[in-house]
Amino acid sequence: MNVDFALIGHQESWRAAADVIAVLRGPERTPLPDDEIKDILPWIPPRAVCHVDVGSIAGMQACGLYIDSFIPPDRLEAAYVHENIARVRKAAACAIKAGAKIVSLGGFSSILIEGNFDQLPERNDTVFTTGNTLTVAFIVQGIKKMCDLEGRDLSQSTLLIVGATGDVGSGCARCLAPLVKRILLGARNVERLHRLAAELQADGVQVELAAHLQRFLVAADVVICAASLPSPSLLLGRVAPDALICDAGYPKNLSPRAEMPGARVFFGGLGQITGGMKFAPDFNGVLNRHPFPDVVHGCLLEGIALALERRFEPFSQGRGAITPQRVEEMEIIAARHGIYLAPLYNADGPVANSLHCHAEWSTR
Amino acid sequence: MEPVIEVNRSPMECTSVSITAPIWQDILAQAMTGELLAAMNYTSLSEMCDDPAEIADALEHAQGERGHAAAFAAEGRKIGVDVTNNVDAKHWKRLREAFLRCIAERDFIACLIVQEIMLESFAVASYSRVGKVAPGTLGKTFARIAAEEEDHVDHAMSILRAERARDVQRFDEKVHRLHLDVMTTLAQMLAKECKDGHCEVCHHTCVKPALFDISLSAAELRGASLQQYLKTLDMLGIPGEVTLAWVTQLPV
Repeated sequence: MNVDFALIGHQESWRAAADVIAVLRGPERTPLPDDEIKDILPWIPPRAVCHVDVGSIAGMQACGLYIDSFIPPDRLEAAYVHENIARVRKAAACAIKAGAKIVSLGGFSSILIEGNFDQLPERNDTVFTTGNTLTVAFIVQGIKKMCDLEGRDLSQSTLLIVGATGDVGSGCARCLAPLVKRILLGARNVERLHRLAAELQADGVQVELAAHLQRFLVAADVVICAASLPSPSLLLGRVAPDALICDAGYPKNLSPRAEMPGARVFFGGLGQITGGMKFAPDFNGVLNRHPFPDVVHGCLLEGIALALERRFEPFSQGRGAITPQRVEEMEIIAARHGIYLAPLYNADGPVANSLHCHAEWSTR
Repeated sequence: MEPVIEVNRSPMECTSVSITAPIWQDILAQAMTGELLAAMNYTSLSEMCDDPAEIADALEHAQGERGHAAAFAAEGRKIGVDVTNNVDAKHWKRLREAFLRCIAERDFIACLIVQEIMLESFAVASYSRVGKVAPGTLGKTFARIAAEEEDHVDHAMSILRAERARDVQRFDEKVHRLHLDVMTTLAQMLAKECKDGHCEVCHHTCVKPALFDISLSAAELRGASLQQYLKTLDMLGIPGEVTLAWVTQLPV
């Protein structure tokens, strides 16, 4: 079988993991109880779970595999980093063995490997991309779209990026810094923060940085959450009461305890593939758990877009190399194949008025 | 039910494991029963073979498994417990019957799949885990036998790979059919709790809840065994997405 692309991922919650196991067991068998799922999942070696066929509005087709690293959702902390890198390596080996031409690294797979590409197995003709460039593109597009929908003037905004020194965070900073009034960079690594701040300041951007979010002197009114958190635990502290907040984490960053009644929250970094996507076996709605059809995380869609483009190259590699030019290039490739920003939504459902751009196909 | 072999008794070599000795006694009884069943399977296989080299090979394997059983019995004596066995215990009996069906069909490949892929995966993984937590020579014996059982898997792998290359679909269908038969029974044995009554090997109540006292758990033994099985099927070349579905469909 010809494998154009492979998508390496993992489940962000036990509920999602249980749903994957339920599909594998088939509808005729009783779903396993939660305690059995928690006992069994950590022992499953990384492997292909299903085939994924995608179409392009330009008429191209691409065949791929979804490979799950089976990282247990409660083992994303730093304490498990070596174990998890080993899992991603094994998942990568599965992709290589299957002859995948390009591999996209989803969620923590990308975070674990983005600075350690040399740790991937011998690659033969397989190339790897973190997929972060398209994630950045969709986050930036989402922010712009929400500002348009709500009549906010982005140029007068104070933008806070949580996880600013990561590949996605720094890419968002480079793309949005020229468009906002002031930018606040939050991350744990102070040295990297200073480096990014210096880069942005050289372009005349007003920058403030802090390792602790409570230390910013001004309140942000636009926030991007792009931190590598093992679970939704982020409490933002001081932001404008009506702040626009893009949660682009996988797992999600924002704690369910974060009470921000006036804030407008949406999930960022997601795209929708309009040329069609089929799973075999049918994992539709299980591997893509979104309120709209054919919505996928940008990091995975990047590999799909490059496969449809027949451009098998490691488009996104390393950390801190995402520029506005590269983002624009990736947006053009994706759009050529009908891969666009997904309709926006949050934990409560679709964000009102965000559907009109692609209404004719997004609600199929 | 009489044990298949009678173990020579020697003076007890009591060690510091006396508190947990009843747990080790049950673990050793399960391991010894498994080894004797394997010895019986290899003996049956030798009776089916025509090639003198294959006959000798099967008999050598049978002898090796009996040696493992004797080694487990000896480890029991060292800690002052009598290690019994019961190859007619309900789960083990079903496994033996599944193997005998392959013999009746004179299906050498099916015999290898059952013994070397399925039963040995279980043995390699569970002995390895036990070897890590068992004290002294008990741990070393489990670890050594796990390594020897792994060699059996390697031995069968080249034969089975060649067989699969001849007709992939037929081979994979055969493995699946045997999986449904044998692995369903193994999964029931490996379940966290024995839901259908006493296993007929443990001396008193089920040993599984007590495994926590020796830093083990039934869930760990099951997980490690199924992981080893999946890896072995990977080595055969059966697609990972197919074998994953097989394993997730097993009873818990």
